[in-house]
Amino acid sequence: MFRWKATAATIAIAALALTGCAGAGDDGSGGSDSGRADRLTLTAIIGPTSYDIGQGAEYGNRSPFFQAVFDTLLQKNSAGEIEPWLATAWEYNEDNTVLTLTLRDDVEFSDGTKLDADAVVGSLERFRDGTSPQAATLAGKEFAAVDATTVTITQDAPDPSLVNMLSIAPGLIQAPSTFDDPDSATEPIGSGPYVLDTASTVTGTTYVYTANPDYWNPDAVKYDNLTINVIEDPTATLNALKAGEANGAKIVNNDTIPEIEASGWTIESNELDFQGLLLFDRAGTMAPELADVKVRQAINMAFDREALLKALQAGYGTVTEQVFPATSVGYDEALDSTYEYDPEGAKELLAEAGYPDGFSIDMMSTPAFQTTFDLVAQQLADIGITVNYTDPGSGNFITDMLAPKYPATWMALEQNPDWQLINFMIAPEATFNPFHSQDPQVDEYISTIQMGTEEEAEQATKDLNAYLVEQAWFAPFFRVQGTYATDANTNLEFWPTNAYPSIFDFSPKN
Amino acid sequence: MLAFIFRRLLSGVILIAVISFLAFVLLYASGGDIARRILGENATAETVAKKTEQLGLDQPLLQQYWNWVTGALSGNLGRSWFTGELVSTSVSNRLAVTLSIVIGATLVSAIVAVVLGILAARRGGWVDGSVQVVSLIGFAIPGFLIALGLVLVFAINLGWFKATGYVPATTSVAGWLSSVTLPIVALSIGAIAAVSQQVRGSVIDAMSRDYVRTLRSRGLAINSVVYRHVLRNAGGPALAVLAVQFIGLLGGAVIVEQVFAIPGMGQLTVRATTLGDIPVVMGVVIAFAIIVVIVNLLIDLAQAALNPKVRLS
Repeated sequence: MFRWKATAATIAIAALALTGCAGAGDDGSGGSDSGRADRLTLTAIIGPTSYDIGQGAEYGNRSPFFQAVFDTLLQKNSAGEIEPWLATAWEYNEDNTVLTLTLRDDVEFSDGTKLDADAVVGSLERFRDGTSPQAATLAGKEFAAVDATTVTITQDAPDPSLVNMLSIAPGLIQAPSTFDDPDSATEPIGSGPYVLDTASTVTGTTYVYTANPDYWNPDAVKYDNLTINVIEDPTATLNALKAGEANGAKIVNNDTIPEIEASGWTIESNELDFQGLLLFDRAGTMAPELADVKVRQAINMAFDREALLKALQAGYGTVTEQVFPATSVGYDEALDSTYEYDPEGAKELLAEAGYPDGFSIDMMSTPAFQTTFDLVAQQLADIGITVNYTDPGSGNFITDMLAPKYPATWMALEQNPDWQLINFMIAPEATFNPFHSQDPQVDEYISTIQMGTEEEAEQATKDLNAYLVEQAWFAPFFRVQGTYATDANTNLEFWPTNAYPSIFDFSPKN
Repeated sequence: MLAFIFRRLLSGVILIAVISFLAFVLLYASGGDIARRILGENATAETVAKKTEQLGLDQPLLQQYWNWVTGALSGNLGRSWFTGELVSTSVSNRLAVTLSIVIGATLVSAIVAVVLGILAARRGGWVDGSVQVVSLIGFAIPGFLIALGLVLVFAINLGWFKATGYVPATTSVAGWLSSVTLPIVALSIGAIAAVSQQVRGSVIDAMSRDYVRTLRSRGLAINSVVYRHVLRNAGGPALAVLAVQFIGLLGGAVIVEQVFAIPGMGQLTVRATTLGDIPVVMGVVIAFAIIVVIVNLLIDLAQAALNPKVRLS
């Protein structure tokens, strides 16, 4: 009568389940013959859209996926300085219209084909002619292979951001043998420090890599294996962290920082994005009030930036009133105190401009950032400006902003290096200048930055920054802290100019 | 019987065609600027326009739907716009993961619910009462709360199971069990509550029938009567509830997969729908429609097998 079969089965399952706990808790330490640690496990908040560089090459939060399998022409170290990588030397001609790159001659792709000047030209052309997000940065440039180790890049006018571009997504070099293969979207061939293990990889969720045995720079590689897990949900990331299932994790919610530090993890940070108002309609086409610089200045005086930082980011980040980042040659700390929080003074300024009773303005809002929008409306209401919010619907925020459908908006934007930032937010044809605002003084500064000597460009950048703050083209609130957490076994030096750390800047603690 | 199956499958095909068209229209209407969403804010307007053209998003709706249908009928469901992976590969891989969890949860909840239901029906009294209370609690507490609680206690504090991720059974059975046990428990609790109550009701009803008294009077042990005769009769309604639960579990898996970061259909569906990844959403819709048609067919066949009085028509 004793049901021994059922009992035995139950005991067997229980035993298996308990031995399963041996599978939990992976860590990154443990030596090997190569002197490297066994595995680095990272979590990212988003995966690559495609491993074909013509479709999906992108840095930001997608950088580790591309850095793992591809090399870039130049590299940035942990201090954000540009160093030789696939290109050992680079030099401009007299008028900065031709850049000549000298390549290494000892690099092969993981399928054995040679990485030579033709491969580099092919990759650059593929990026330029494709639809990856930054494809336009190589528009209008011509590439040529002078000999097996020399490449020239020719452009009509100087481009101060070109060298920087070659150290990020546009500089990724893909094996030409995969150019015509649609599977290259998920099965990349590059020359990078790791090779994708397609059998163990689950696209969109887990990417597993093994160290490239023929890598030309083995000293830079500190791990035999790399796993990157895509976890979008911040709670799941936190759980993975606490259960010891990762060595490094990108943290999106800064208010979880105390909890993370309490679990024995270390926080590294940089400041890459700013949040604030973009006062687009400086000519007053849609909102005539914004044409008056006094109105825009008054808006800048309406915000208690310290309080906003505390309320919205738990105090993590830095108050700012300029759109240029602290790493820029144009940055001036003094500019951050141009406008005091002074609602009364703002109202006086509005009255001087002819709006003693204030006015109303149309802006967008989305539920995801409701607290921010409520606070913005409240602070503007305090100086007499009534905000009429419209929800543009899911996915239309940026499209409607750039249409343009609104004279001003709140936004979180990246503070790119200078020339990129100018073409992103300031120049008349910049993406985030939808009304194509133009100012002869701004044009003059931009021209000097592009065509002048290094000293002239640096001075012009400072002058441009100061001018934009004084002319109140924007009303920045603060720079947001970008946060990355590492466990007790892992060292990280977080580079300052990208959302995700460089995979070369992780190392095991021994 | 074969005629029945054939007619069912035919109506299933028509259903799938209608659903696919409706889904496509809904996606198109709510799409927004998908190219901009794929590329993010750094891309210039020219790049966005190029991407729009490349994805065929500037073509009329019916043209886009026709392209998709002709592709699907020849087995090509396209590639994800956000990961580059073949839709058929994504769906089949992730279906395997989700089904392993959902089927596991269905089996676990079926067995536990039957045991609890019979226990409650036969013992009555305080056993019945406590099973009902526990069921009510399991039913009332939201699935994600149960899931989070399980992670906190068993994965983080005790370290017995994985907190996130999925290990395929082909790689390591122990790893697989470690990664699916908590999700299956989380999913089962709600289903157990519903099905056990159904079983209890059916068993009580069946036990009061004359044939039970007849069998007992002929000397059969009560256990034998319950398991061999009563269960078969009580099985019909319980099976119907289980079928509904199975379909519901496919939906409940969405939440569980988010909490445990499991690469299943739920995670794929949420991500694809939020982003507007039309090829993947269409693939998911087709997969789910096929599953529902097949499950309903199987349940009908099972009901007929259990109870000869049921006519297949």
